Amino acid sequence: MVDAPMPLSRFKVIDLCRARAGPTCVRQLADWGAQTIKVELPPGGTGVDDSETRHGFDFFNLHRNKRSMTLNLKSEEGKKILFKMAETADVIVENYRPDVKHRLGIDYEVMKKINPRIVYASLSGFGQTGPYSGRAGLDQIAQGLGGIMSVTGLPGQGPVRVGIPICDLTSGLLLAQGVMMALLEREVSGQGQWVHTSLTEAMIQLMDLQVARYLKDGEVPKQEGNNHPTGVPTGVFKAKDGLINIQAATPHLFKRMAVALGVGEKMGENPEYANNKGRREHRERLNGEIDAITQTKTMKEWIDIFAKAGVPAGPIYSVDQTFADPQIKTLNMDPVVHHPEMGDVRILGQAVKMTRTPQRMRMPTAELGQHTDEILAEYGYSKAEIAAFHKNGAV
Amino acid sequence: MVDAPMPLSRFKVLDLCRARAGPTCVRQLADWGADVMWIEQPPGDGNNFDDSEARTGSDFFNKHRNKRSVTLNLKSEEGKKIFLKMAETADVIVENYRPDVKHRLGIDYEAVSKVNPRIVYASLSGFGQSGPYSDRAGLDQIAQGLGGLMSVTGIPGGGPVRAGIPICDLMSGLLLAQGVIMALIEREVSGKGQWVHTSLTEAMIQLMDLQCARYLKDGEVPGQEGNDHPTNRPTGVFKAKDGLMNIQASTQHLFKRLANSLGVPAMADKPEYLKPKDRKANSAKLSAEINAITQTRPAQEWIEIFAKAGVPAGPIYSVDQTFADPQIKTLNMDPIVEHPVEGKVRIVGQAVKMSRTPQRMRMALPDKGQHTDEILASYGYSKADIAGFRQRKVI
Repeated sequence: MVDAPMPLSRFKVIDLCRARAGPTCVRQLADWGAQTIKVELPPGGTGVDDSETRHGFDFFNLHRNKRSMTLNLKSEEGKKILFKMAETADVIVENYRPDVKHRLGIDYEVMKKINPRIVYASLSGFGQTGPYSGRAGLDQIAQGLGGIMSVTGLPGQGPVRVGIPICDLTSGLLLAQGVMMALLEREVSGQGQWVHTSLTEAMIQLMDLQVARYLKDGEVPKQEGNNHPTGVPTGVFKAKDGLINIQAATPHLFKRMAVALGVGEKMGENPEYANNKGRREHRERLNGEIDAITQTKTMKEWIDIFAKAGVPAGPIYSVDQTFADPQIKTLNMDPVVHHPEMGDVRILGQAVKMTRTPQRMRMPTAELGQHTDEILAEYGYSKAEIAAFHKNGAV
Repeated sequence: MVDAPMPLSRFKVLDLCRARAGPTCVRQLADWGADVMWIEQPPGDGNNFDDSEARTGSDFFNKHRNKRSVTLNLKSEEGKKIFLKMAETADVIVENYRPDVKHRLGIDYEAVSKVNPRIVYASLSGFGQSGPYSDRAGLDQIAQGLGGLMSVTGIPGGGPVRAGIPICDLMSGLLLAQGVIMALIEREVSGKGQWVHTSLTEAMIQLMDLQCARYLKDGEVPGQEGNDHPTNRPTGVFKAKDGLMNIQASTQHLFKRLANSLGVPAMADKPEYLKPKDRKANSAKLSAEINAITQTRPAQEWIEIFAKAGVPAGPIYSVDQTFADPQIKTLNMDPIVEHPVEGKVRIVGQAVKMSRTPQRMRMALPDKGQHTDEILASYGYSKADIAGFRQRKVI
């Protein structure tokens, strides 16, 4: 493996986040090399079920590659320590409710005075202003607001959430991208800035073509079950022994599929199916015709036939099957980190591969405050001072 | 509005992409200020897509804003020469051909880095750049099946369900854009470009996040949970008098607040709901108890009650309702671009907001080759050269 610095190795990040969305942003920065300090509440002061979950899969996956220190931001001493850390930091990420950072006196305006180069990133449920900005917003709520539940699932069966906390994850990934752009821009301007997003904004951006249909043409997208909202045929089809995906909505692919199904002329040359508009109109009939043929062979047989014919098709895996697939085994999506108690643990990898400065996992999720003393010492605090901070409840 | 350069204004991007995933990456760069030259095939030159049908449609319109269009036939020697000349001064090239195509065309990273060692070359494929499926055609639906998302979305027993958006296309594009930005940040120090790549499959797996982490760390295979959060309860869809709404109140703190605002504070103290794992184990009973109460008032009333009590709750919108919401109206998620034929059109905005270098929409969808002459002239080609290229079907 290449032994190069990672692309964000030179940046220092202070992580004030809780829950999932903010930590997803920070994880992205940490995974790609940023020196990340996760600032946590001293023991006993937490609103989340930390103790129960710290060694659970979720916490473990969410907080790798970060050092942990405790800091009580409600104490004056604790706040002073944060300001000292902010002087040399590149990035601060927080996902409090919008008013909290102001109440604590640690908002962008304050930090900018200490360090004009700081990139200050905020993540909220509904945005930093507006009528709902004071409300508590979590993933499920944003899935409902952004409309994804109205386009997922079978028509008539009621709204369906996507089986992952997609607003949390997408808002975190997009905010990380915003932070990176701010750092890149700072190379020229020398100035930091405030960067923010929300679960709701991220959900709407991710809705993409579904929202664009409405915004441009006034078309309100509906549930389409397993079919692609616009491209036909795209969906789930029946093989002899189970279900498979086929996506063959372009004229080219549609013809190839018809040939692979053995009905190149009957289906492939049917004028009613000649363009996507026609195929959309007759979708039910077309899907039925495809199903009638796919039911005659097994999933594996069809997937191989379609692979040879250049028709996009594939299995519908559960997660264990995903990681057992020979292609997926080549993608390094399950790297191993070593934990002193739990030993070698597989965690989830990064999708993007960089050839000269590749991503590497460096550290499992830290214990609460594991690096408090080491970090304070790096900022010049003496042993006596650190002992006093512990005694006063500042850390 | 602040009149500052956008964070990517100083970068030149050559866009070789088709379909959705690659263009989503490029759109992200274009939206944030990059000078994007979208290289399209000259008219009539074997385009596989329903281009003609779709060019004025909402999807194409939304996907290709803020890019200039230039036609170029990369299969002609002259066309390739022009491309390599453009690559000399470009910062980024993005392509989403099948992995072997760029090599066959002789425009892969190795070839381009010889004319410009600072180039960031970004590739997006269906299944990764190598491995047994790498030469197969891979599209969104196929990757949703491979990555396991369809096995965790939808009602238990109802069969697999796709997310109602092409989530693999969109996420792989967004993540690749992030990879490009990181490579540009790293180049500031090293002076070197590199090859950056991802795939629909890798992006889907990364986005599965906690669902994959469950399996990788603890061997737990996640199943479908309908509208409930995979692990945290209560999180889901509940019945109001006049319809459905979302509630997410699974932490100790929020669950107590929920019980209070439902008028049954004792619910939070019941042994069967005391801890998160109790609530998960008795999820059906808990949902029934909550539903019995929520059915007594309309959704809007509950949402106001919950907002005051600090319990995350909200409506389940269709897309038109999303954009009619007073909070969402404040988020600038539907900016307007002006098109010579279509007039003023609303498109989907960017979720991330930057305070000093904000995002602005500059340009609607260009006509095919609209900027060919202007772009070629900027590389020093004369009017006569350009006329010759056109005559020889190079552009």
